[in-house]
Amino acid sequence: METTRRRWSFKITPIRLVFMAIAVLAILIILIRFILGLGAITNLNDQWPWGLWIAFDVLLGVALAGGGYGTVLIVYILRRDKYYPVARSAMLTSLLGYVIVVLGLLIEVGQWFNFWRPFVSWGYDSALFEVFWCISMYTLVQVIEFCEIATEKVFRGFHKYLKKAMPVLLVLGIAIPTLHQSTLGELFYMMVGKLDILWWSVLLPPFFLLSSFFVGPGMIVLETSLSGKAFHHQVEVPVLRGLVRISASVMILYLLLKIADMAVKGTFAKAFALDFTSIMFLAELVFGVLIPIFIAFSSAANTRKGLILFGMLDVGGVILNRFNVVFTGLGGYLNQYGGHYFPAWTEFAVSAGLVSIACLLYLFITENFSIIDHRGAEPVKGVMTEHGKYAFFK
Amino acid sequence: MTKGVLVDIPKCLGCESCSVACKLWNDLSWDPEQKVKTAKDRAKEPNKGLWPNDWTSINFYGLEKEGSPAWRFVKTQCLHCEEPACVSACFSKALQKLPEGPVIYDQNLCVGCRYCMLACPFNIPKFQWKKVIPGIRKCQMCPTRISNGEAPACTSVCPTGALTFGEREELLAEAKKRIKENGYIDRIFGEKEAGGTGWLYISDVPFEQMDFRTDVTTKPLPSYTEEYMKVTPIVGVSWAAILAGLYVYFNKGKEPLE
Amino acid sequence: MARKKENVRRVSRRSFLKFLGGASLAGASLNLVGWGKPLTADKAAGGNGWLPTQYNIPGSWPTLVRGRVPIEVTNPSIVRDSQKCILCGQCIEVCKNVQSVFGHYSLPLIEGIVCVNCGQCIHLCPSGAISEVDDTERVLKALADPDVHVVVQTAPATRVALGEEFGLPVGTNVQGKQVAALRKLGFDAIFDTNFTADLTIMEEGTELVKRVKGELKKPLPQLTSCCPGWVKFVEYFYPDLLENLSSAKSPQQMEGALIKTYYAKANKIDPEKILSVSIMPCIAKKFECKRPEMVSASKEEKDSNITPDVDIVLTTRELARMIKKAGIDFNALPDGQYDRLMGDSTGAAVIFGATGGVMEAAIRSAYYLITGQQPPLTLWDLQPVRGLLGVKEAAVNIPGIGDLKVAVVSGLANARKIMDQVRAKKSPWAFIEVMACPSGCQYGGGQPRASAPPSDDIRAKRSAALYQSDSNNQLRNSHDNPEIAQIYKDFLGKPMSELAETLLHTEYKSRAKQFIGEKEKSS
Repeated sequence: METTRRRWSFKITPIRLVFMAIAVLAILIILIRFILGLGAITNLNDQWPWGLWIAFDVLLGVALAGGGYGTVLIVYILRRDKYYPVARSAMLTSLLGYVIVVLGLLIEVGQWFNFWRPFVSWGYDSALFEVFWCISMYTLVQVIEFCEIATEKVFRGFHKYLKKAMPVLLVLGIAIPTLHQSTLGELFYMMVGKLDILWWSVLLPPFFLLSSFFVGPGMIVLETSLSGKAFHHQVEVPVLRGLVRISASVMILYLLLKIADMAVKGTFAKAFALDFTSIMFLAELVFGVLIPIFIAFSSAANTRKGLILFGMLDVGGVILNRFNVVFTGLGGYLNQYGGHYFPAWTEFAVSAGLVSIACLLYLFITENFSIIDHRGAEPVKGVMTEHGKYAFFK
Repeated sequence: MTKGVLVDIPKCLGCESCSVACKLWNDLSWDPEQKVKTAKDRAKEPNKGLWPNDWTSINFYGLEKEGSPAWRFVKTQCLHCEEPACVSACFSKALQKLPEGPVIYDQNLCVGCRYCMLACPFNIPKFQWKKVIPGIRKCQMCPTRISNGEAPACTSVCPTGALTFGEREELLAEAKKRIKENGYIDRIFGEKEAGGTGWLYISDVPFEQMDFRTDVTTKPLPSYTEEYMKVTPIVGVSWAAILAGLYVYFNKGKEPLE
Repeated sequence: MARKKENVRRVSRRSFLKFLGGASLAGASLNLVGWGKPLTADKAAGGNGWLPTQYNIPGSWPTLVRGRVPIEVTNPSIVRDSQKCILCGQCIEVCKNVQSVFGHYSLPLIEGIVCVNCGQCIHLCPSGAISEVDDTERVLKALADPDVHVVVQTAPATRVALGEEFGLPVGTNVQGKQVAALRKLGFDAIFDTNFTADLTIMEEGTELVKRVKGELKKPLPQLTSCCPGWVKFVEYFYPDLLENLSSAKSPQQMEGALIKTYYAKANKIDPEKILSVSIMPCIAKKFECKRPEMVSASKEEKDSNITPDVDIVLTTRELARMIKKAGIDFNALPDGQYDRLMGDSTGAAVIFGATGGVMEAAIRSAYYLITGQQPPLTLWDLQPVRGLLGVKEAAVNIPGIGDLKVAVVSGLANARKIMDQVRAKKSPWAFIEVMACPSGCQYGGGQPRASAPPSDDIRAKRSAALYQSDSNNQLRNSHDNPEIAQIYKDFLGKPMSELAETLLHTEYKSRAKQFIGEKEKSS
């Protein structure tokens, strides 16, 4: 059995070829970006210094990867052991998400070779300073956490040390993302008068934090059902339902805060004006929060389909929220004198490429490391090893 | 104690000496695309005439006042806030405010994140999109001249006295005097905007008509995130401690997870 | 088991804190060694000193960086290339002190920037940043079009300066070569503005006589009106004295009106197809031809398809550029002849190009108009009105009316002083000639940039060439020009006839509302 575990495998399927093609295209575009500059491949301009990459790769990447820290909190800290089966895959998704965010940021910033400057030249007044430190530290923590899994297979000698360090890593792995998830919201608090009042709020940090938390289960549902298909290995419905209900509870809190925020700002009239911004704002709340809450606490949550619908609405709602903050929320101000931004196809391609790379890495890692655990799973195919784990590929 | 410049809008006749002086002093090249634009074109475009190589611009507004035409030219450039949003937004201290007043930028420290562009309440910083190694560009207020006790290049060449360089406090007094004497609009743009700016504007026609951002907050922008940033470390440490406690509590007597 | 775990956690937490502390310490020490030091002024982006294009290193020299005059983008005469501007302030110097325009109005602006289009700033600009609006392309396009009948006229002063562009000594008269070059360029008819200079003398002289005799209820002194910069100056700053301006058009506009009426009829050409070009030492002429009232031919023929009397004005410099572009060896050209009908001129006309010339020519003919006799020889060499002085005076005894007191002014700052006297009713003069440009048209804004700043030596040489041309001419009095006699006989009738009034006279409008006048000195 030792030989089985050491062997590396990567199955080539049509969908993986598509991912690879997109990844190669993205890498080519990224090369052009480094040779000719940002202006050559993006439609960013002085009115729109931040565009698709920040909205999608960074704000959204960070939020979607946020499933990791939520799961760690539920499983490892609060010891809700029934959710353990999803823990490792959620953490892996999170790690890959952050790797992509970091890569995306290196492409996105003007002077990528200066990325280390804030480590020594401390602009500690900046919300971005905290985001920078936290994301760097958290990525590091996650890499070490992953090493704990990786050393089950390679460099096994280090495994026991890493295992001992895990509690600290786990605590940090929750504390740090809590900080930067909320601080990402704080970034936009300074854009007072620029960001539309529907989104601009003193509560931006809790909104970003809560939404990054409740998007976690949504991501886990979608991801496990996708990888479940790929690996013929589904997570039990009650496990997912439990997660979804935790998520929905946080959504209720979020919704209440949103309503309170609107009451304080007096923006009800604006929110229901049914113009473009109001529709976008309502869509985000109705489809991304309200309907998911109903699904979670109705009988629909007992079916896989219902759970997937919840996941799609939940994730879609957070995507819409982040895009609304950057595009809908800032658009009114930034476009007032004829500013304009729509991402270039190359921008889309790079984003798609980064996602493809993440997917390929996910597939590679799940194939070769023990990610999708046996406990609570519904085995379809596979061989029980003497260590109580499945080896999917022999 | 900071220095500033008072812009007396009615006294400007649009000779653009200032913008040429800026080019000459700062060794800024002429972009053929921008060079052909007129003051009227620039007033209508979203960039308001400011580009990586154009740190100041004279923009034309053909207005009406008391039934007769009123030609007004507005000089745009960085306003050098007393408490600059860009400086507090910069996470690598590439933007800093000198004690004399200028808000300056050092590309060596810059990562290129462009948060300053979004943080700036007046949309001043511009990014060198076309460059392979791009930086932020904006008016630096000629800090080497100011440290020599000289006016910024643009101000030193103004032939009509529309620009006055001096101590901000004195300029505020001068502005109030001129408002009274000339019957200007009773407002000094920059006195309170964004917590006060080094550059001050006075005018005889409403600022709104010349695309000034008159609805800008009067609270210094850094103060919006200041409190948050201050409590963050404490919150972070306490939160970590709580988590550690929870960990110990919930894991007591349980097998550790693999 | 639990103990072990506790132990593990403590150790690892310590190690993590070590790492965190280490990172912070590293950051702090790097801060201390300089990476996090507060920025100083010299670290700021941007240059560090004046860098006019001709100096290759930045520095605080030259210290005299003083700004520049405003030039509107819609200015029909003057353009500026800001890239060449070094802010030396010479344009301000000439506009403010020599021409008394810049700085002689109050701010804020009402509508437009006050500019008389004289173009003296072009001569003062040491870096060539200021120049004329280039209209050569339009002319070349018309010349290439067989359907367009392109007629050209040349001003008195261009002939004594054009040669400089081709290396000839200053003051060389190239009248014949200029005509030959124009012919080579393909102009269909070439006339001399000197012809209408003579005509101007007839009209303006008649008007003066009528004013002096009291037959015309218009005030004295009569002011000349052939300089468009000067006319605009009066419209801006002395709108109360518009009545004093002679109603006679400038020679250019008279010629233009006649080209599209008299010439068109005589040669049976459709005036709609005529493009009227003029070669001028002046860039204010580019403004003058665009004045809305300068469409007499169209009005007279009641045909709105007839373009303005003068369609395009080219300066001497632009003509030189066209000749060079066409590859014509100017210096080797044989002398050409002006076309008949409006090509004859007298010595009185050619001296229009120098300050005092209009006055001298007018006096010669006024003497004739008043007395019916040819003027005495002294009037063919009226020294008091010649020379480069800014203000000159003369008194000429004309039998019948006694001493006629006249003044000759060039440079608008000088004119301002004289006008203030006129406004205060302290003017002893009956007739005042004013040229906007110092020393007159021969150093107009459109003439070759012979030196920067303009030099009196060159002014004197060009003037001398004009007076030489006068004294070489068989005919010295405008009223002796045979073609003048012919045009009155065949077409106009007599000076200030109804047709002459329509085609050769004009009106002026106050521009005082476009700006706020200079504030009272007391305030």
